[in-house]
Amino acid sequence: MSETLHFAEHRLQEMALLFMAIVYTLRIRWLLRFPAGKERQAPSGSRMITSKQGILNSWLNVAKPWAMESTRTRPFFYAQFVIFHLGVVASIGLSFVIPYLPSLLQSPLLVRLLQISIGAACLVGIIRMVRRLSVPVMRKISSPDDYFSLTLLTVWFFFAMLAVPNETAQGESILLIYFTLTAFFLIYVPFSKISHYLYYPFTRYYLGKTMARRGVLPQIRG
Amino acid sequence: MVTENRSYNAQKVIERLAKKVNRQMAGSLAACVHCGMCTQSCHYVLANPDDPTFAPAYKADRIRRLFKRHLDWTGRIIPWWVKAGSVYTDEELAELMDTVFGKCTNCRRCTLNCPMGVDLAVVNRMARGLLVSVGVMPEGVAVVSKDQWEIGNQMGVLKEDYLETLDWMSEELQQELKDPAVGIPIDKFDCEVVYSINPREVKYDPRSIADAAKIFHFAEENWTMPSEGWDMTNFGLFSGDDDLGGAVARRLYEKVEDLRGKKLVISECGHGYRSTRCEGPNWAKYDVPFEMESSVITMLRYIKEGRIKVDPSKNDISVTYHDSCNNARSCGMTEEPRELLSYVVKDFREMHPNRAENYCCTGGGGAMSMSEYTPRRLKSAVVKADQLRATGAGVVVTSCHNCVDGLTDLIRHYKLGMQVTQLVNLVANALVIEERVAIPVEIVPEVTAAGSLAGRKILVVDDEPDILTFFASVLADNGAEVIEAREGQEALLKARSEKPDLVTLDISMPGQDGGKVFEALRRDPDLALTPVCIITGRPELRRLIYDRPVPPPDGYLDKPVNEETLLLNVKKILKVV
Ligand code: SF4
Ligand code: SF4
Repeated sequence: MSETLHFAEHRLQEMALLFMAIVYTLRIRWLLRFPAGKERQAPSGSRMITSKQGILNSWLNVAKPWAMESTRTRPFFYAQFVIFHLGVVASIGLSFVIPYLPSLLQSPLLVRLLQISIGAACLVGIIRMVRRLSVPVMRKISSPDDYFSLTLLTVWFFFAMLAVPNETAQGESILLIYFTLTAFFLIYVPFSKISHYLYYPFTRYYLGKTMARRGVLPQIRG
Repeated sequence: MVTENRSYNAQKVIERLAKKVNRQMAGSLAACVHCGMCTQSCHYVLANPDDPTFAPAYKADRIRRLFKRHLDWTGRIIPWWVKAGSVYTDEELAELMDTVFGKCTNCRRCTLNCPMGVDLAVVNRMARGLLVSVGVMPEGVAVVSKDQWEIGNQMGVLKEDYLETLDWMSEELQQELKDPAVGIPIDKFDCEVVYSINPREVKYDPRSIADAAKIFHFAEENWTMPSEGWDMTNFGLFSGDDDLGGAVARRLYEKVEDLRGKKLVISECGHGYRSTRCEGPNWAKYDVPFEMESSVITMLRYIKEGRIKVDPSKNDISVTYHDSCNNARSCGMTEEPRELLSYVVKDFREMHPNRAENYCCTGGGGAMSMSEYTPRRLKSAVVKADQLRATGAGVVVTSCHNCVDGLTDLIRHYKLGMQVTQLVNLVANALVIEERVAIPVEIVPEVTAAGSLAGRKILVVDDEPDILTFFASVLADNGAEVIEAREGQEALLKARSEKPDLVTLDISMPGQDGGKVFEALRRDPDLALTPVCIITGRPELRRLIYDRPVPPPDGYLDKPVNEETLLLNVKKILKVV
């Protein structure tokens, strides 16, 4: 392994992670500076759901496609969401496996699984980009950051998929691109919409808490 | 701090933004990923598929851009990258007003369909509040807010009119039940129930007050209505003005405390229930020491406790139920109305989607008071119309006065031929009244029901021939002598020559408008005491009347007016029982 690749796999990643952690901390501090509204109303609704249950239920919303009409009626879209986010987990995980647990990648099955998962995510990235460019509403609501973030992830998936076997015999360029992109990704994330997973716990916490107190969530369907 | 040149109002909006945004809103403003999942959940989008400006995320972005530009550092550093932006001119504020008031009913349907938990409705309400704070709002919103601030209720009902209506309904009940003990207690201390209502009930639907009184009577409830602070509606919810919201809620809570009431029962109204029961304590920063309950829950309790008996066969109709957004999506009241319906009707047909997934009646969020958006509202109502039609029911029941108006309007527009009613009417109608030995009482009505307007001369003034003919025939069919006038000058001449007992006066007419005619009538010594009932399709025009330095009109009706409402109000003004 060249020094450059070693640097890209270790120091670069560590610096990027540290940077991301600092910016994230600042971001959370920024969010906490806004005062939280106080809830004085007595619980309403026909069921007694505690705030804790409501919050937990709201956080788990992501794994319950039946809970919302928007996901229940669009199974294909929900499947894309799952595939895309599994791809993110796999690609991030890969950036730790390669430098710290490379022996895992000696399993052809794992390599194949990771490649399928990340490849599928890459495909979903392309489908999403086509949708964003072709559906008028999506074009209307999209910002440069939306296009760039999606492109970045799709390209990153592509190189992650190629990087999975962790082979340097044919050259290191694929791995170098993958790790450089990962570092860039980590640095860029806090400034972009990709940081939504940082907000997810907040928004769903408050929505779950309020709506549980009011007996709205989890929804009763009929 | 951005220092570009701004209009005074734009500058104030930006300055106040920081104070308005709380953590929940900041989360909603920061978290949108522009995935578009919420798009199809909005009735405006479904009715306008080719117009992306109705998409919830797009509408939210009109507000989000300000947040990003002024409060979020990504937008401060690289605004164009995240579509951050500011407002500079009053025209831009007007555009924002068009979005937040005219393209969203704050129904919260998109909120429940957003995977990220972005609460657009709350953000939209916040933006409304910002605009209202600098006086940028549809005129109807300004008028109704003013009424609620100054007169104490959002329809400008004067205290004497309110008390007179309660009196009138008491008399009707006494007559109907032939029982002098029945009535509407006012300002009684230490009651189990203090009953609060929507001013619409006083103006257009006093029968629902009588129906509630009947139910309380047969349940042998110890109840009262307050003489003041009786309006449980709250325009602060619609205008985004938390100060108004807090003041209105506080007025009601303090009255209940003054009366030492144990429970506040809120009549059927979605936004009233939400404002009073859920949001009011927060706006008013008031820890409410008594219980609050929707009358739907009260009626259900009476049935379950055996305090009233009902017979569903008395309501021999096919009904469906429309969940008001505020009841279902903001207060979780979805099961109680259905359970209550199961006791009082036999033929119930569920609407789909329903409960928290139901579509807005399209009259929510104060839309009924913003006449400039009526065509847009009615276009978006096609979604609701399709839903209603698919049930095949003859009657739609809803626990919200706002929805009653919204649904009535769209049913007429889409010619669905359905009736709209509320649970209180169905429960009262289904009551099984056991024979009681009542002390005979002689109540002499001023005029008998048949031909009850006989001997009354009514001048109907309206420039729309259809309405003129409709009013004239309804009133004539009920025995009145009707004189017609199509414009202001003619109205004044006929009023002077015919000396009518009542004038029904349209406000917007070509030439001399209704406001001027009204003032002329009031200033004429021979006609000053002639009762006048104002009719208009545009609530914001109310100020043309109320701002005049003459005594207020005796009645007020918003178009469209149906036969029942017209007769009810005419009889009320003429004190015809
Ligand atoms: S569903 Fe939520 S995250 Fe997606 S566009 Fe709508 S508001 Fe934004
Ligand atoms: S709150 Fe209702 S009307 Fe407003 S954007 Fe969302 S779905 Fe549409």
